[in-house]
Amino acid sequence: MSENDPQTAPVDSVDASVDQGAVAREAAACAREKPLVGCGNEPISIWVIAACGFVVLIAGAILGSGGRLFSYGELIRANYARATAPGADKSGPEPKAALDAYMARGAKIYSAKCNGCHGPDAKGDGANYPSLVGSAWSTGETERFAMIILNGLTGPTSTGKAYGAGMVSQAAGLTAEDLAGVMTYVRNNFGNEVGDVITTEMAQAAMDTSAARDNAGMQMTKEELDANHVKPLPGEPLDPAALVDPITLVKVAGAAPAAAAPAAPES
Amino acid sequence: MSPVTHSATDSDVLQRSEIDRSLRHPVMFFLTSGAAWLAVSILLGVISTAKMSSPGLLSDCSWLSYGRVQAAHINTLVYGWGMQAAFAVIIWLMARLSKKQCSSAGIILTAGHVWNAGITLGVLGILSGNGTGMPWMEFPVFAWPVLLISYFVILIWSFVQFSMRPKGEGETFISAWYLLAAMIWFPWVYLTANILLHCVPGHPVMAAGVNAWFRSAMIFLFFVPVGLGAAYFLAGKVTGKAIDSAQLAKIGFWSLALIGPWAGLQKLAGAPVPYFLPYVGATATALLFIPCVAGALNCLRTILTDKETFSPSPTLQFTTAGLVGLVVLGITGAVTNLPGSSLQFTQFSLSGYGFDILAVYGFFTLVMFGATYFIVPRVTRREWLSRRLIRTHFIFSVYGTIFVAIVALFGGMLQGRGQEDWNSTWAGGQFAAPYAVTMTFSWALILFSNVFFFIHLTLMWLRLGRRGTQPTLLNTTHEEPASPHGEDGDIDNAGPGHAPAH
Repeated sequence: MSENDPQTAPVDSVDASVDQGAVAREAAACAREKPLVGCGNEPISIWVIAACGFVVLIAGAILGSGGRLFSYGELIRANYARATAPGADKSGPEPKAALDAYMARGAKIYSAKCNGCHGPDAKGDGANYPSLVGSAWSTGETERFAMIILNGLTGPTSTGKAYGAGMVSQAAGLTAEDLAGVMTYVRNNFGNEVGDVITTEMAQAAMDTSAARDNAGMQMTKEELDANHVKPLPGEPLDPAALVDPITLVKVAGAAPAAAAPAAPES
Repeated sequence: MSPVTHSATDSDVLQRSEIDRSLRHPVMFFLTSGAAWLAVSILLGVISTAKMSSPGLLSDCSWLSYGRVQAAHINTLVYGWGMQAAFAVIIWLMARLSKKQCSSAGIILTAGHVWNAGITLGVLGILSGNGTGMPWMEFPVFAWPVLLISYFVILIWSFVQFSMRPKGEGETFISAWYLLAAMIWFPWVYLTANILLHCVPGHPVMAAGVNAWFRSAMIFLFFVPVGLGAAYFLAGKVTGKAIDSAQLAKIGFWSLALIGPWAGLQKLAGAPVPYFLPYVGATATALLFIPCVAGALNCLRTILTDKETFSPSPTLQFTTAGLVGLVVLGITGAVTNLPGSSLQFTQFSLSGYGFDILAVYGFFTLVMFGATYFIVPRVTRREWLSRRLIRTHFIFSVYGTIFVAIVALFGGMLQGRGQEDWNSTWAGGQFAAPYAVTMTFSWALILFSNVFFFIHLTLMWLRLGRRGTQPTLLNTTHEEPASPHGEDGDIDNAGPGHAPAH
């Protein structure tokens, strides 16, 4: 190898040239390489620009549907509703008959809130907790029943017998759907067969009435119930066979029988 | 040929051959051990796709249950083969582009052994049931610092060479942009993901998001730039022509740098993460079409202007196939990640696997094969032994990849549609079995060709390659030489400049 820097020194010696040639033959692959030229300046094809422009449009559409950027608090799209499942003509879970849907909701509430005292068969224990089966107040006027659930009860019950310290209010965490469900459940289960559906609208009216009481928050007494609350809850009755959404308990439009539901049988 | 140009060429040849010689063992070590891991990975891929169609297969062996085999398959593909092939190409190409010899081959080799030890222990960790369960990061937690440190030791010299390169010789070639960027991006991505997931674990839903980002960033911020860096070099070098468009090269590079880091979170669409994040991810993944197509077309137009050189050259054939894969990758990214239409079919199905394979195998690996066929004769100073092996390798790799990637992508879409159909049962609606059978078959073909590739490569490293000045080309027009070792005496008969360029 030449003692000069092979990059810069002009090689004029025959010996050096021969020497390098030998190395170059050993490294034949290196020797036959072409030089790296760099970059040309061909214009960019119009098709590339058009294709990229099209993709930018698509990307803009995706970004545009993504809601407000950098809003880290929003986890779901505003007014999110489940999309229609492929092959189905409506979205969401299968609608159910109103009575079944309200009963299903009520069963959950009953086991969470009522079961502990009134028991799984709703018969109470006869000593501290009264039976709900065949009770005039459970199966009777709906506003009276709702007021007891929402405010509790002290003193004598429908049979005239007083049970211990009475019942405490069960309103905590109870929504109108829950109240409607549990009332429907009690009135149509355990041997009770009233056959009506307490709608969400009726339950909401009960909650409003309860909140507007003079002595709001106090337990109910037989006197107050008899004086103010012996009446049905206001609201449109619902055909027990009408179809409702099992989650929201909202009546499914168009799914109910075409004729207006007949008045629910009153007790 | 004038004496001046002749001697200038000779001094260049000397310098290049010295650089190549200085890197012989690191480059051959990474390529050969990478090829071995690739064969292991594909074997595991055969097993895992076979389990997809016949779940009872090997079900007695807990080490080979699907969850472990599939994880080991992807991790050996990414870290065993992909990263090591990238190491070989980066250290060689950065030395060539910086015109500097490597003076630390021993240290690189040592770090390379540490890397392989880390992979081996990591794979054993996965197969013994100690994987982390995070896609592309399944190695047990001990592995990542080992890999990261050996990464730095392997590539720090390339940074040093680049900063000490002789200045004032015109613009830095495009390949150096891509390779430098990839060398910086990988530790950023790898460190970020591992620290966020292993050291300061946050909310588990966001951990899944970090993991999805990592997977996408590994593809678009490491494998794509390394592959494009190699492809630009090979396109310019083998044809001897200028890269088609300097503007397109700049657009391709900077769009990748700006868009790449945003992609990945579309895999969390519908999860309780901030609502805009999956949309940003989907937008970025669609926009990555631009860097993919810009880079691929720029190289393809350079290569295809020279059909004479293209058709017999295994390097350009592989590189071209890989670049076509990159175009397909860009289109696939834009088409399969549309929220509200296609994303729901690809989010939880085989399509994600198909996309990974398309990126890592259909683009990156094919370009790495092209680079291997170019680099190895230079660093070993021997020619490839058999054009038949190269041709078999090419055909089986390309067709196998097409089958695996396309079948997984589109089979995955149908599978996703079956999953979305709430009226059909889970098992009946999947439609995955026929695609899994096709993939098993294709992986087996790829395995077959890669075992021979590994043997070919090992023989080259042992310097049992053909001595001669003629490259091993794929032209079928010439008659086959009588001896598989080349024509007699061609080392004496042909000097530099006599052989066709390659």
